[in-house]
Amino acid sequence: METDLLNTLVTEAIWRAEELEALGKRPALSAWEDVSRIEEQLAKALPVSEAQGRIARRGAVDAALKAGDYDRAQALADAYIAEEAAPDSLKTALREILEEADQEIASRFQHAAKHHTPREAREFARRFSEAGAFGMAA
Amino acid sequence: METVAFYSYKGGVGRSQLLAHAAEFLVGLGKGVVALDLDFEAPGLHYKLPEFRPPGSPPFTGGAVPYLLATADGAESAPPLGDHTISVPVFANANGWLRLMPAGPAPHRAYWAALKALGDKLRPADPSGRGFMAMLDLQARIQDELKPDYLLIDARTGVTEIGSLATTILADTVVCMFVGNFEAFDGTLAVIEALKNAPRLTSQKPIRVVPILSREQKFDKYIADRARSVLREKGLTLFVLPHDQFATAEKAISEPLLIKYHELFQRLFERSPENL
Repeated sequence: METDLLNTLVTEAIWRAEELEALGKRPALSAWEDVSRIEEQLAKALPVSEAQGRIARRGAVDAALKAGDYDRAQALADAYIAEEAAPDSLKTALREILEEADQEIASRFQHAAKHHTPREAREFARRFSEAGAFGMAA
Repeated sequence: METVAFYSYKGGVGRSQLLAHAAEFLVGLGKGVVALDLDFEAPGLHYKLPEFRPPGSPPFTGGAVPYLLATADGAESAPPLGDHTISVPVFANANGWLRLMPAGPAPHRAYWAALKALGDKLRPADPSGRGFMAMLDLQARIQDELKPDYLLIDARTGVTEIGSLATTILADTVVCMFVGNFEAFDGTLAVIEALKNAPRLTSQKPIRVVPILSREQKFDKYIADRARSVLREKGLTLFVLPHDQFATAEKAISEPLLIKYHELFQRLFERSPENL
């Protein structure tokens, strides 16, 4: 797909996600997932050596987090960091995006964070989501 | 702080009533107790543990649902627990204390609207982990700020996300209640299996499960024997509470049931090696 078209699509998708956020967290989640997937397409179309390519990579990871899909954000970040031509500045930025997401949760839930890490909570949420209540759907 | 969740696969087993009496028992032992109503869809613990409000004082609008909603709404800091818990009067000469965090100001329209909004914003299975952290944070904050000896949770009936979270993640001990029919027992047994196999967070001990046949009547003997046998195979001891027509009608409880309650509470809360 043409990068011009992808840029148009991602702009529209970001606008939509931001509008939906005003209505509540849940409706916006799938909209941010759309943003992440379009950014991912852009990242595939644009080399990491170009500024637009680096912006798309950061955008894909950031939008995946806004979609609440930390696993996907982590997988994308890992893949982009592993790119041979990825500059250190991009690698650092991607790591910081993931760390900030953890820090934001830890600072919001300070009492729980004394005993449990956001990573552990995510892991349990994922199991919970897959297996259902009491693991009955597993 | 020890967290005990009171769970039943089916309703109408006297779960909230047992929790309320357990709270009073602990207060009598000089313990600090927080009772938390996580039965969001049909909350009623505030009827069993009524607060004292001076005449003319405004109605209480706090509770777990408004608290979690405020947290989910992205407040800079979580609202004070004092706005969402109430002191429950205890009997004279009791050395302990009791606070209740009701689900919210149910049954009123604003409560159901808040519950709907909470469902849109915060779910335990939210893959970001926020829903999980919010529930763990509420429990940890109760421990840090109110410092009770016991947190007693009224868990949602049936197979639900919130009931599962309250029992498999928050609880150290789960009291599983059922009445004398196979519909209730088979469901309870499935949940007990799940509880025993539930993954635990780092630093958590395995869940202790206490199965209770509640409101037992003479014709329940067959299922009581069957339940006792099946549970024994799983290393569990069945505790039986007799039917009490006064308790069922939410009147004063008769002596035989009170005696059984106390036997149960001694087993639940006074940890001798055979009770572990």
